[in-house]
Amino acid sequence: MTPRWRLLLLALALAALLPAVLRVALAMPEFGAPTAALGQSVNALVPELRHVANMVAAVNFDLRGFDTLGEECMLLCAVTGATVLLRGARGERGDVRAGHLPGRPVIPRADATVLVCRVAATLTLLFGISVALHGMTTPGGGFQGGVIAASGLLLLYLGEGYAGWRTLVPSPVLAAMEGGGAVLFVLCAGLPLIAGHPALTNGLPLGEWKDLYSGGLMIAVNAAVALSVTGSFGLLLVEFLEETREPADAPASNEADHEDGTMRTRT
Amino acid sequence: MSGLVAGLLLLAALSGLLVVLARDPRRQVFAMAGNGLVLGLLFLALQAPDVALSEIAVGTAVTPLLFLAALAAIAMDRAKGRTEDPAKDQAEDRALDRAVDHAK
Repeated sequence: MTPRWRLLLLALALAALLPAVLRVALAMPEFGAPTAALGQSVNALVPELRHVANMVAAVNFDLRGFDTLGEECMLLCAVTGATVLLRGARGERGDVRAGHLPGRPVIPRADATVLVCRVAATLTLLFGISVALHGMTTPGGGFQGGVIAASGLLLLYLGEGYAGWRTLVPSPVLAAMEGGGAVLFVLCAGLPLIAGHPALTNGLPLGEWKDLYSGGLMIAVNAAVALSVTGSFGLLLVEFLEETREPADAPASNEADHEDGTMRTRT
Repeated sequence: MSGLVAGLLLLAALSGLLVVLARDPRRQVFAMAGNGLVLGLLFLALQAPDVALSEIAVGTAVTPLLFLAALAAIAMDRAKGRTEDPAKDQAEDRALDRAVDHAK
């Protein structure tokens, strides 16, 4: 397709879509105007009904909890698919070392880097747990806390290098967290069904407003999401970083380059 | 619209433009991380801290890393396919680059 044809297609598409887009854009509420009726009623009703302070968590884990279950399964399927594809092409051998680009010098890691990474990784993990735990009271929740905790794993990789990272981050544990979280969510949704109530019926005591324990069943759902998201993102990171490894018995030419590289940095 | 939001919107547009204009994939990854950070701040200014947290963690930390890992794997794979003839290797690299540009 030549650029001329592309421009012609673009002009056609614009001519067809622009009037509709303009009409919708002009009919929208003013920028920043809090006029959404649903949001206003959630703000007015939910503190009474569910005793939680974070309305976003209330919507995600209770009011439309069933949608969140679907999203959770979507993440599970996406990560499982990526894992199967990558591992299928790569195999599950354990005797590997970090890959190396021939000719690029290997510079030893500074002690300061290791120290900063260890401190920062611990703080990131704690912050992630805190964000997940306070999901009912402050912004955040299981998803955000889970992603933050998993991104702390990257700091471990930066600080410890490949071998240290592999011993510190066991991927079976991550996989168990991923699946276990999803199972816990399904149980939260399914157990009320067995008792004859609608799915995700909030049967637990609701607790105090603005308290760490508030929201009843939402706390269990939040924990399930946190576990599953931490496991999913951690597993994703492990699988992608494993792509940069090479078998321990790789051709010797790379090894020679490797040693050559370290020699050069020493002199 | 406050000046803060207007400034952040402008910054988001500028950093998004940088992602498109950076042609080297590695620079593009870092430009994308910067764009994610600006978007996170914009969401924060628009009073959506939940979304801001997700955006910063996913858009600034996790996604760029996945791209970097993929780029590293590609570079190592290319290095493995090296032959004795440097001219032939360069021709192969150029063909691959052209294919990648075309796919963009």
